[in-house]
Amino acid sequence: MRVFLDLMWFFKMHKLRYLTGVTLLMLVAVLSLIPPHVVGVLVTAIQHHALTRAELLYWVVVLAGTATVVYVLRYAWRILLFGAAMQLSALLREKLYRHFTRLSPQFYHRNRIGDLMAHSTNDVQAIEATATDGVLTLVDSITTGTVVITTMVATISWQLTLIALIPMPVMAFATSYYGKLMHVRFHKAQAAFADITEKTQESIAGVRVIKAFGQEDVETESFASLSADVVQKNVAVARIDALFDPTISMVVGVSYLLSVGFGGLYVTRGAITLGELTTFVLYLGQLIWPMLAFGWLFNIVERGRASNDRVRTLLAVQEDIVNRPGARDVVPSGDVEFKVSSFFYPETTEAALENIFFALKKGQTLGVVGRTGSGKTTLLKLLLREFDVQDGDIAIGGQSIYAVTLEGLRGAIAYVPQDHYLFSASVANNIAFARATATQDEIHHAARLAAVHEDILQFTEGYATLVGERGVTLSGGQKQRLSIARALLMDAEILILDDSLSAVDARTEAQILESLRRERQHRTTLIATHRLSAVAEADLILVMDNGRVVERGSHVQLLRQGGVYAAMYERQQLEEMVEKGGVSA
Amino acid sequence: MSDYESGERVRTDKGVLLRLLRYLGPHKRPLTGALVMLGIATGTDVLGPILIMLFIDNYLTKRYFPHGPLVLLGSAYVGLLCLTALFNYLQVVLFQTIALRIIQRMRVEVFAKVQSLGLSFFDRTPAGSLVSRITNDTEAIKDLFMSVLSTFVQNGFLLVGIYISMFFLSARLAALCLLLAPIIALVMHSYRLLSTRVYYLTRQKLSLLNAKLSESLQGMYVIQAMRQERRLQREFGEINEGYRQTRQRNIQINALLLRPLVDVLYMLTLMVVLTFFGLQSLHAPVAIGVLYAFVNYLERFFEPINNMMMRLNLFQQATVAAQRVFELMDEQLLAPVSVAVSDAQAVPVVREGRVEFRDVTFSYDGQTDVLRNISFVAEPGQTVALVGHTGSGKSTVINLLLRFYPVLRGEVAIDGQPLIAYPDRELRSKIGLVLQDPFLFVGDVRKNIRLGNSAITDEQIERAAEFVQADGFIRKLPHGYEDHIGERGATFSSGQRQLLSFARTIAWEPKILVLDEATASIDTETEEAIQSALQKMRKGRTTIAIAHRLSTIQDADLILVLHHGEIVERGNHQELLSRRGLYHKMYLLQQGGARDSLPGGA
Repeated sequence: MRVFLDLMWFFKMHKLRYLTGVTLLMLVAVLSLIPPHVVGVLVTAIQHHALTRAELLYWVVVLAGTATVVYVLRYAWRILLFGAAMQLSALLREKLYRHFTRLSPQFYHRNRIGDLMAHSTNDVQAIEATATDGVLTLVDSITTGTVVITTMVATISWQLTLIALIPMPVMAFATSYYGKLMHVRFHKAQAAFADITEKTQESIAGVRVIKAFGQEDVETESFASLSADVVQKNVAVARIDALFDPTISMVVGVSYLLSVGFGGLYVTRGAITLGELTTFVLYLGQLIWPMLAFGWLFNIVERGRASNDRVRTLLAVQEDIVNRPGARDVVPSGDVEFKVSSFFYPETTEAALENIFFALKKGQTLGVVGRTGSGKTTLLKLLLREFDVQDGDIAIGGQSIYAVTLEGLRGAIAYVPQDHYLFSASVANNIAFARATATQDEIHHAARLAAVHEDILQFTEGYATLVGERGVTLSGGQKQRLSIARALLMDAEILILDDSLSAVDARTEAQILESLRRERQHRTTLIATHRLSAVAEADLILVMDNGRVVERGSHVQLLRQGGVYAAMYERQQLEEMVEKGGVSA
Repeated sequence: MSDYESGERVRTDKGVLLRLLRYLGPHKRPLTGALVMLGIATGTDVLGPILIMLFIDNYLTKRYFPHGPLVLLGSAYVGLLCLTALFNYLQVVLFQTIALRIIQRMRVEVFAKVQSLGLSFFDRTPAGSLVSRITNDTEAIKDLFMSVLSTFVQNGFLLVGIYISMFFLSARLAALCLLLAPIIALVMHSYRLLSTRVYYLTRQKLSLLNAKLSESLQGMYVIQAMRQERRLQREFGEINEGYRQTRQRNIQINALLLRPLVDVLYMLTLMVVLTFFGLQSLHAPVAIGVLYAFVNYLERFFEPINNMMMRLNLFQQATVAAQRVFELMDEQLLAPVSVAVSDAQAVPVVREGRVEFRDVTFSYDGQTDVLRNISFVAEPGQTVALVGHTGSGKSTVINLLLRFYPVLRGEVAIDGQPLIAYPDRELRSKIGLVLQDPFLFVGDVRKNIRLGNSAITDEQIERAAEFVQADGFIRKLPHGYEDHIGERGATFSSGQRQLLSFARTIAWEPKILVLDEATASIDTETEEAIQSALQKMRKGRTTIAIAHRLSTIQDADLILVLHHGEIVERGNHQELLSRRGLYHKMYLLQQGGARDSLPGGA
């Protein structure tokens, strides 16, 4: 029940709503006592032939009135309580989403997207269920239970009430016992289901091997036996599940028998009337639901608590990249300077970068080359503040990037990431992602610069074509160029290209680089790449290895040096030849 | 949603439902049994109130309490309770078992179907959606059978049973109550109409919400780098609020038409019944027991209606799932299979292992050719190596040899017989594939070597493992050959996985080896073992090998250099080197680009 306390902040937020809803719920419980009472009164009157037309009319009108009022109240509490719970889940989703947008890439490395999705959907759902079904069953079973039993004791007979309730604990005991059995068997059934899911995944992932070894029938057989196991485990669940209803109807039936039997005795003794007995039996019927609901309640609450704990933990994750105290909200501008003695990824002991010192004048181009894992991307990510430097500083225009807000810093940088993620939206909206207000001309211009305009016109719906998961499939090169166009539209002073031209052919690459040079005069560009042709014109090239700068200089200087860079260059010339089929030397 | 579309859906819904119901066919007998039990249970169930009526009218109101008959009545009541409980229990278990069996059959059917599909189907269908059809969609259909259909049948029986009893008690009153039927039908119908639309809308908005969330999580680094957090928060907020509002409408409809309204109907009927008996009592005596029984029946009459209405939405969900499953079952992209051979012809058998490609041109999509005029012969026991950069068509050549795709232009032949003439079993057992990224199955080491071929003895398995020198590390495993391989062999090094897959291939004793060499470098320790194992495996077998490292195929009888789907150079290692063409350049590249390391070079 602790979860109700945990959710108290929300209940307090909607105090009036919950108070009204719960009051209405109680009112319904009380009003529900009327019809059995009316039936009892009428039975007595009919039995004694004392019923008059007026009296009959009166009671029928009472029933009609009760029915109307109860209908309205029932409608109202549902809207109030269910509506509130939906606001709770909407609020939680909103909170989670906002929180997600503040967490750094590090967080996304540590957590799988699937898990985060599950927390935002399943867990939120379970919490919602606690706030609806949980509150409902708690209030309803307690009020209905108390009100009905009190009425039975007070207005009819406490002895008969006691007798009628004798079998009820059996029901509570049996259902909780079945519940325990179910729990175990249900888990087994779920595990069996997970097995067939895994088998299916395996058979699809390994389809080539299966076909090559002619194992299709064997696979199907083994799937069939696994799925027979699913049947068996589920039948085991059904065997328990099917016990609930018969047990309940047995218990209720015995309870009825006791009421009518002993009630008959009381009637003959004149302790109660026959009408009262009828009322009594109808009341008894109203007790079944609260008894059942109480068993349920524990289930709901247990799930709700676990889910609420998970969501709370998630919301409590600290943001690790934050504005430093006193950070100024300006967009920095000017020369870029790296003074990084060392950089470690969180929870690692080996430096990812060491002694990275360089300065880049505003308007210059930096090239960073080196093998995969040499630290190129890390270097760029430090400038973006995806991670913070502990030992050293990075400055733009002589001002530390930590002295300005994240918002300001990122306003100065247009970033084309290595894995170019596109959103499920039109081509135009994807290009205008960073500037939703961009005009069509601006969008087309950016696309032309990124040499993707012609490609877009080839799509069935041009700039309105949908891309992303549910849209057209783009080639890797097209994705990269869209991603570049998207960054260019930002019109920021610093452009970062992180291996962003790898899937583009050499001629298109040259074309894009040429338009960048033309268009981005007096603005700074940082390019990390495997392909040296992309940095041949850079003002400064850093050759990285193992997190360190092993060579630096211009293309010409580096070639003359005859070191790692020169060797790489020679090798790439050869590779290019092979790709072209070895035709040109 | 236009009217046309919804009309269309209703029609297909009916078709889907009929097709689903056909699955009941093989279960006619247990189904009849379940229905009979349900009938008995319903009968004994509705008899209970009648016994109480007898007690009230014959004994209680008359103040007449003979010992014997009352005990009999009491025992009969308890007896009925027990019978109802028993038969209801049996009936439910039987229904559920039938439903589970049906789903099992469906699952196996769709799984087998997927197994029979060609690789071109797998190329264009995401694995995730296939898995979800075989498991989750069939699970949704299970709900249809287990909860929707059984709810309708069981509650339908109960409704009829209760109504018959009411008719028996008082035909006139029961007839009067029948007037309610159209009202109930109207309520159910309008609920269905209203809720279906909102239900679909809700699901649509939910999937929109989930898509937005998942997309944002995946692209968060872009969102953050481009400072779009606020805009996306706003967008998500709108979708979230839209979803909430639709659900609110759902709640309104449910609150308006479900339980609260059904309860009003109950009260209405109660008023009719009480008025009926009340008016009757004005001029004639009324049997209180009958009144009691009626009220008792009424109380139970509306629960089944509630139950049925609440299941209506599940029904919609299941039909959508069923439609998707049936679509997959009707998929036409089958794997190429051997043409039926007439009895007169002998079933071809691979004896020598001579592989021939004759002028093969191939396209995956029917538009761009990925192979053009490929011709070559691998004589029995020879090794033919395929080299070329990514996308040159090497993999396609072996895909065709393995009959993963149909050869439409040109011909692939083994021992002079076209590939398509060989039965699957023959082909699969005579061609051994060694994949670049060895795929291990869940199960123990033995199972991974033997796969489904029970003809392979444990001894043969061990011999195969020894042959490829996998024996050493297998024996060092905690349970040796019985050691369980978890998570696709993640605990093994890539070299060990490779050796295991070699052992698998060798145990099958193929005539032809197809090698797809790993691009990734393997730890030097196992590298040697792998190379020597490969040497041994190739002995006496025709081998078609894709090589990334030219050093491993220097002794090949024939090397084919592919470029853009064409063979641009062919010959053995020395011949190709001396030609100083593409192969030569590739070789240089792999030697580290250092010119002076080339044997006999410039």
